[in-house]
Amino acid sequence: MLNELLHMPLFWAMLTIAAFTVGQHIYRLLGNTAFLPPILTGIILVSVVLEVTGISFDTYMDGGQYLHLMLGPVVVMLAVPLYQFIHVMKKEWLRISLAISLGSGTTVAVAVAMAHFWIGNDPITVTMSTKSVTTPVAVTVSEQLGGVGALASAFVIITGVFGALMIPPLLKSVKLDDPKAMGLTLGVCAHAIGTSRAIELGNQQAAYSAMAMTLTATLHAVLLPLVM
Amino acid sequence: MTGLLILLLFLVAGNLLQSQLDSPVPGSIIGMLLLLVFLMIRGRAPESLSQISKTLSPLLPLFIIPVSVGIVTQKELLAENGIALLVIMAVSIVPGAIVCAAIMKFRRKRDAE
Repeated sequence: MLNELLHMPLFWAMLTIAAFTVGQHIYRLLGNTAFLPPILTGIILVSVVLEVTGISFDTYMDGGQYLHLMLGPVVVMLAVPLYQFIHVMKKEWLRISLAISLGSGTTVAVAVAMAHFWIGNDPITVTMSTKSVTTPVAVTVSEQLGGVGALASAFVIITGVFGALMIPPLLKSVKLDDPKAMGLTLGVCAHAIGTSRAIELGNQQAAYSAMAMTLTATLHAVLLPLVM
Repeated sequence: MTGLLILLLFLVAGNLLQSQLDSPVPGSIIGMLLLLVFLMIRGRAPESLSQISKTLSPLLPLFIIPVSVGIVTQKELLAENGIALLVIMAVSIVPGAIVCAAIMKFRRKRDAE
């Protein structure tokens, strides 16, 4: 009976939702800490269950694909916040565009160069290029480029956790920590996880972070396929 | 439901355009850009679209979990390069963050003068 359950696609869809729900509860329990986003807990829990039961990723995906299917509409949906932010950034569009393109370009260039010379494995290098893009876009772009979707997701999430941890003290130490700079930098370098950190810091930080995350994702999604 | 239909319409259009143009930019991104142009021409987001956006946004991470769980197929690669990858991700944040914040701060100083 257990074997039957473990090969039922619906079971895995249900388990994924359960793992995400547990992740959300732990996240709230820890006071919305940026360091354990619900998605990370969800991934870890599902992976552990797969390891313990010895079920293959392909079998899991028979059920997981139902949730995965929503990734496309959700990426298209990013146009809604993007449209609102374009309105907001009209006043300062030049400095915001420069900060976002040069800032995200720098972090990606450094990461890709390090991966190329240190590890020298092409799929890893290609996948590394999407590390500063919000996860749904990173996974989509990475697979298009010949990278590995699962790795892209891991890189993005770990980058987000590191960024949320490092950026506030880093910018404070070099005295670049005014609210707009802090928010924008968190969005550019640490996307959604940085944005949840920015929400803790204040309204202006949160707004700039969400805007930066969406603009960075769009910019990279269009440019990376043409450059890489 | 109209909101979801709009999203799917633009997604299908994006995918179709991607395959017709043989574009390296993914179909969902093309769909997003098309929807953005539509919103800019229209001048505001339809209520149904704002509604579906509010409903789906909190669920976004859930939809990413399945593909992310694919990390279990990458164990060898991670065992071999895990430390290097962590170092690369930590180190590469620093120059990007400083460039980004410096540009924001630089302009702010000039504004104040």
